[in-house]
Amino acid sequence: MIMDNTILKVSHLKTYFFTRRGVVKAVDDVNFELIRGECLCLVGESGCGKTVTALSILGLIDSPPGRIVDGQISYNGLDLAKCSPKQLRQIRGNDIAIVFQEAQSALNPVLTIGDQIVEQIKLHLPMEHSEARERAMTLLNEMGIPSVERVMSYYPHQLSGGMKQRALIAMSLSCDPKILIADEPTTAVDVTIKAQILDIFRELKAKRQMSLLFITHDLAVVAEIGDRAVIMYGGKDVETAPVSEIIGEPKHPYTAGLIECLPDLSKTADRLASIPGTTPNPSEMPQGCAFHPRCPKVMGICSQHEPPEIVISREHRISCHLYK
Amino acid sequence: MTKRLGDIVRKISRPLYSNSRLVNYYWQRTKRNKLAIFGLAFIIFLVLLAVVGPFFTLDPTLVNFEEKNLPPVGFAIEQSIYNIETDEFTTTKVSGNWKHPLGTDSKGRDMLAMLISGARVSLLVGLIATGIAIILGTIIGVLSAYLGGWADNTLMRFTDVMMTFPFFLLLVLIVFIFGPSLAIIVLAIGLTGWTGAARLIRSEGLSLRTREFVTAAKAMGASDNRVVFRHLIPNVISLIIVMATLAIPGVILAEAALSFIGLGDPTVPSWGIILESGQHSLNTAWWVAVEPGIMIFLTVLAFNFLGDGLRDAFDPKSNI
Repeated sequence: MIMDNTILKVSHLKTYFFTRRGVVKAVDDVNFELIRGECLCLVGESGCGKTVTALSILGLIDSPPGRIVDGQISYNGLDLAKCSPKQLRQIRGNDIAIVFQEAQSALNPVLTIGDQIVEQIKLHLPMEHSEARERAMTLLNEMGIPSVERVMSYYPHQLSGGMKQRALIAMSLSCDPKILIADEPTTAVDVTIKAQILDIFRELKAKRQMSLLFITHDLAVVAEIGDRAVIMYGGKDVETAPVSEIIGEPKHPYTAGLIECLPDLSKTADRLASIPGTTPNPSEMPQGCAFHPRCPKVMGICSQHEPPEIVISREHRISCHLYK
Repeated sequence: MTKRLGDIVRKISRPLYSNSRLVNYYWQRTKRNKLAIFGLAFIIFLVLLAVVGPFFTLDPTLVNFEEKNLPPVGFAIEQSIYNIETDEFTTTKVSGNWKHPLGTDSKGRDMLAMLISGARVSLLVGLIATGIAIILGTIIGVLSAYLGGWADNTLMRFTDVMMTFPFFLLLVLIVFIFGPSLAIIVLAIGLTGWTGAARLIRSEGLSLRTREFVTAAKAMGASDNRVVFRHLIPNVISLIIVMATLAIPGVILAEAALSFIGLGDPTVPSWGIILESGQHSLNTAWWVAVEPGIMIFLTVLAFNFLGDGLRDAFDPKSNI
């Protein structure tokens, strides 16, 4: 369903890595659309293909060994999966920007924060150096960084983790992108910083009408910030729904399992709940539904046929044999 | 073009001068190595000597057979002079004087003046040839690491082939073919000496290019060019400095060796050329060969000491 206010639509995206030990289907048929001004969360365990999806959107899959083998990524009338490197360079940073998980490694250690942001601005906007500097300082200020003038001349290692993450967000915002992809931006920081970073994203959404694609494995974060969520498992989207429905009435057994895993402070439990088993190795995906070896409601059909996508309601899609 | 080049140089070396705190830190670390400081002091002395020295010395090309083969101050030798009228040899004792503190050669040229103008030549050769080699090595190494795949393979196999040539024979061949002019010698040394640098930089670049900030830069729309010049090369600049410092003495030695076997530029008095002219008169005037030899020895030693000191200072794993 393409609506007028869909800004990014990913359909049947397949990104495979052709390694010496076989084909790794990191992303294997993922579908979702990002609505203008919403925060869409991509949720899943490590290795389920969240980050590869994000990198595919920006055309940053290392090739070889990786390649987008099939699918469309429609943005603004373009198919990003088939764009030339030059077109992609124009789009990166300008239209779609990304914030990486670890600010420490995502910032160049030998350039000052100011230099990196100013460079970023000058790369996309026709600005003089002093003008770009002004803009960089305004951005850092908006991110709640104190004594901006000093921070501009700091090197990444001179800043705390939270500060670095803010500087990184400021950098990705430097050219007013329409879409901001956040790849687990709160995973590497501690809880108080996490709350502040989430506040920043919430504000971005409210003030700038930014469309956010928020990648996380943390359902608490999803509940906090997300409008809709895509639950991913084994390189596929298994359930797509508004966050309230995901949290309130999860349909897919995997989603339900994830929510059960959240510790509940109001109850006393000897052991925390967990989903038995481990995430499958992406090069040896189980037959049928990828989740069936771990699924509590597994049926005979699950190990034979891949579940089709079932539309439960206008905004709720699911891939599971339970809901025929 | 020059503006663009200047821009690149400024950007690449930016981390050096804009970060006085870090530069100071490295200076403190280098300072703990006494030999490195000795090396640095000697190099500074040598550079000053080479730059301003020639204005205070005699003309190094001035030939004066009246005063040939004068020993340095403090030494005296016996000289046999053939007298054409009496047709016999008269032996006189000749000792050095302060007009020629380091003596004169077989044509009566002032050794001090020649050594100082030789310092100019040898340092220039060292710096320019090393510059060519390091720039080539850096570009080839970084490109190889960054592009990967067949480009990496091609460049590295080419490097291997270059390395299998005996370096010195290659130099001799090039100079033999194109003639012994200083420009050719400098170019030849520069164009053959980049292989080690390319390999080192490639190995460093291989680990750098997988770092997240490179992906981040690309995600922000940076072109390959920008990633290489703005993000990769500034990260290997310390490696480049150390390599350059350690490469200079090799180049000076190579030029001296070329001159010594008679393939030097005879019009320019480098230390190697003076040394070569002295080897024929070792019996009568040992200082003509020994003095440039000492200069080469000290200079090479100084650069090696400084390079070692810098390497230790830049290496975060070394305890100094």
